[in-house]
Amino acid sequence: MKFRIYRYDPELGSAPRMQDYELDFDAKGKKVLDALIAIKDTLDESLSFRRSCREGVCGSDGVNVNGSNVLACITDLEGLKEPITIRPLPRLGVIRDLIVDMAQFYQHYKAVKPYLINLDPEPENERLQSPEDRAELDGLWECILCGCCTTSCPSFWWNPDKFLGPAALLQGYRFIADSRDQATDERLDFLEDPYRLFRCHGIMNCVEVCPKGLNPTEAIGKIKSLLVKRAL
Amino acid sequence: MRHVGGAHRGLDMWLLQRASALYMAGFLVAFLVLLLAAGPMGYETWRGLFAPMYMKVGGLLFVTALLVHAWIGLREIFIDYVHCLVLRLGLYLAFGILYLGCLAWSVDILWSVK
Repeated sequence: MKFRIYRYDPELGSAPRMQDYELDFDAKGKKVLDALIAIKDTLDESLSFRRSCREGVCGSDGVNVNGSNVLACITDLEGLKEPITIRPLPRLGVIRDLIVDMAQFYQHYKAVKPYLINLDPEPENERLQSPEDRAELDGLWECILCGCCTTSCPSFWWNPDKFLGPAALLQGYRFIADSRDQATDERLDFLEDPYRLFRCHGIMNCVEVCPKGLNPTEAIGKIKSLLVKRAL
Repeated sequence: MRHVGGAHRGLDMWLLQRASALYMAGFLVAFLVLLLAAGPMGYETWRGLFAPMYMKVGGLLFVTALLVHAWIGLREIFIDYVHCLVLRLGLYLAFGILYLGCLAWSVDILWSVK
């Protein structure tokens, strides 16, 4: 199988380049991550990438394969057009090869206060929720923060420092939608901004690439609806 | 707890863009119906369509909605791509003047039909 992989090592001082690899590999049932590991094991030990759980749960191996952001560990090798081109996630700084600097991404995540804000005295056991209220969180809590959606969003590419991006907005809505949270107004205040929220033009790249099948565009739409309800 | 709110802007523009789109869609359907009802088309029939006051007002609102819609769209494009503040403000101003000019011109055109 033929691969073209983005290589960059700042310590070498040379410009980023694409390197070709040819791997004798039976693709049947294998994932892109299997190939990356095989290349590192047999062809080039200097190739660097992140991976941990290798089953689509930890979200650490987000890469751009043949132009689409995916998790390498759950993307089938079969059916991919050769040479399979693997690049780091777009628009984030490259630390080395396929490893990107996620600091900006986490900063946006942190900005939406991704935790329950409830100033009532803590109950003895837990804060209860009705099954209906709990169901509101489905499709939101499953996000693994891999960054595939945010880095596929042109609005994030043009204003990465100001637009929160689909992942952070999805997480923002996860806490707005939580019946136990008491800071909805503050959260909406924070989001009501031409950059933070309204850079989203609803092109749904995020929905297309989300490896967990989530819908950040819908969550963003719900935030906008709540803002409208609050304003009118 | 330190809290920094948003600029509290954007929602009005977002709503206005949707509202103007709705008005334009509604007007176009109504206009099409009037057009078909007017019978065989010629210069006189076409002029006749724009003679009543409701058509002038409706038409002017259509042009306004179109310009508002276009200006908001342009604003989005400028925010996305034009990061130099002076240039962006200059573009806002230039297109603001251009679109207001178009609006004034539309008034003249619509009310010139007797």
